[in-house]
Amino acid sequence: MPNAASSSAATVWAILRKECRSEWRTRYGLNAAVLFAVTSLTAVTFSAGRMPDRPDLLAALLWITLLFAALASMSHAFVREMESRTLLLLRLVASPTEIALGKLLFNIAFLLVVEAITVPLFLVLTGAPPVRLTQFLTILGLGTLSLAASSTLVGAVIAQTRSRGALFAGVSLPLLLPVLASGVAGTRAQWDGMPILADVRLLAAYAVALLGVSLLLYDHLWED
Amino acid sequence: MIWRIGIFLWIAATMAVALLAAPLVPVLQETTRVLYFHIPSAWITVVALGWSMLNSVLYLWRRDLRRDDHAAAAAELGFLFCIAATVTGSIWAKSMWGSWWNWDPRETSIFFVLLIYGAYLALRGSIEGEEKRARLSAVYSIIAFVAVPPLIFVVPRIYSTLHPDPIINTSGKIDMDPMIRWCFFSMLVGFTFLFSWLQSLRVRVFRLERRLAA
Amino acid sequence: MSSGAAVGVRAEKLSHRYGRRATGVDGLAFAFDGHGTVAVTGPNGSGKSTLLRIIAGLLRPTEGATTVIVDGRECPSARRRDFLGLATPELSFYEEFSAVENLAFAAEARRLAAPRRAADAALAVVGLAARAGDRVAAYSSGMKQRLRLAFALLHEPPLLLLDEPGSHLDEAGRDAVREVVAHQAARGLVLLATNDPREIQLAERRIELRGHGLGDPA
Repeated sequence: MPNAASSSAATVWAILRKECRSEWRTRYGLNAAVLFAVTSLTAVTFSAGRMPDRPDLLAALLWITLLFAALASMSHAFVREMESRTLLLLRLVASPTEIALGKLLFNIAFLLVVEAITVPLFLVLTGAPPVRLTQFLTILGLGTLSLAASSTLVGAVIAQTRSRGALFAGVSLPLLLPVLASGVAGTRAQWDGMPILADVRLLAAYAVALLGVSLLLYDHLWED
Repeated sequence: MIWRIGIFLWIAATMAVALLAAPLVPVLQETTRVLYFHIPSAWITVVALGWSMLNSVLYLWRRDLRRDDHAAAAAELGFLFCIAATVTGSIWAKSMWGSWWNWDPRETSIFFVLLIYGAYLALRGSIEGEEKRARLSAVYSIIAFVAVPPLIFVVPRIYSTLHPDPIINTSGKIDMDPMIRWCFFSMLVGFTFLFSWLQSLRVRVFRLERRLAA
Repeated sequence: MSSGAAVGVRAEKLSHRYGRRATGVDGLAFAFDGHGTVAVTGPNGSGKSTLLRIIAGLLRPTEGATTVIVDGRECPSARRRDFLGLATPELSFYEEFSAVENLAFAAEARRLAAPRRAADAALAVVGLAARAGDRVAAYSSGMKQRLRLAFALLHEPPLLLLDEPGSHLDEAGRDAVREVVAHQAARGLVLLATNDPREIQLAERRIELRGHGLGDPA
């Protein structure tokens, strides 16, 4: 019998590749997400203007923009499966956890692409002071992990309800507030030259907890 | 019947004693009275949240719809008590410290709990089918449980360092005049019984609804 | 590879209710072992598709349980998808991919040794080899039905669950179904949910769902 974990990995990898190929073929998910992110970014930075000397506000606005971008784009991963009715196909070839992991990895990659465009743009438009790259990216990366983990689970839950779009943001928010708080605090700290260890630890612990618990729950999501 | 009257008398009597006879806490002066219903409300909010989440886990484990009844009923009641706690807290803050909202650690925590309740109830309202609704809301309840410790303990500390808290949040809990302490704990007990009774009523309604539709 | 000799499906006190409405799956009990074909018949809405989904491990029944035996051993619900193939009208494919891409993905997810070859082979069996590279969006309903069959056969499972396999199909398509069923019945078990008399004829055993449980075997 092949080793269970490595064979699961093969399935997860197949699902991840399928998601990427699907997104590449249609591309509407990514286009819409980037457009939304840039739009909200523009609205925020236009209204707030340049603020090179306000790291506290900069940190807050950056994370709010990221949060909105995630909330707007992350629900589509599972909603699309529901709408195209392909969830049955997935459930017949892979276990719920494997499906979820595949989607999670895709969501992380997706968010990273959106951030790669949005974050530099934000820094430029607000005239932000130079960032300490390692620290800044660590906070961003860990926050992205939590954003993706939460969005994947909530997306899977919401896809089975009647009022998807409106609900997704409201149901996600309580889960994402800790990310917001630590992300903002950590980003501000790296601009202030303060240590970020506490925030990093929090973000990491929270991401691990979210991931761990959500992986246990996926088996219960689809039973009809 | 006995319960209903008993609880009513208990709370009424305690309230009467508290308002008429109990002395005022020096720091709080006239606003002392609020601690007789604000803190018990907050207490019940937390109890209800815990009970709801526990029953969610039990539902997923045993698939007994009665567990879901309890989870849903506790969430509804908890939501109401949470609104009561938040509003009374805000009024107290205004009269004590001059502003309705300060992002004080405790204010922040109770507000976050309100958001969790709201999300849970909104989610429930949008799912058709008993078993599906029970299952999905149980899943959400469990993942929200992961968020609760950070939201209650960690985030408010971060907030209070970001926004320097000019006010020390004391409620004179430890050294209380004995009469105050008696009234206060008696209110806690009264509220707990009240919650428990309301909960049993709500669960019974759920069960009757189900039997009616069958 | 499974010898197919020890394959079976059983049900005990199986019931499933949608909301408050009972279906034909009400206190159902049966046991089918060994090779062959079993027809699952009954009026529309009697629960044929429901029964297949429960056996496939996709749907949790309100009461009772099903057992799937593979290689003489009981197969837990979570692993059933590896040993059975299901083709139902609700099965949809990724429209932006071609047929062979859909099946190749399924084969990769199932961890088959040679996914592309398995996909091509399955398409050939159902007569879709010529249109393998076309996007599913361009497929007719008959072609999609054949694709569903190919999907169910992809990993050569010992147990095949077919829900109205002949729907949307022309004569040639129905012939293909007949061949598939015959081929499968020789090496495994087929459960065929249908009301089409031509398809019922393919089976030697039968479950009839009437809203109250098991009917007489044919």
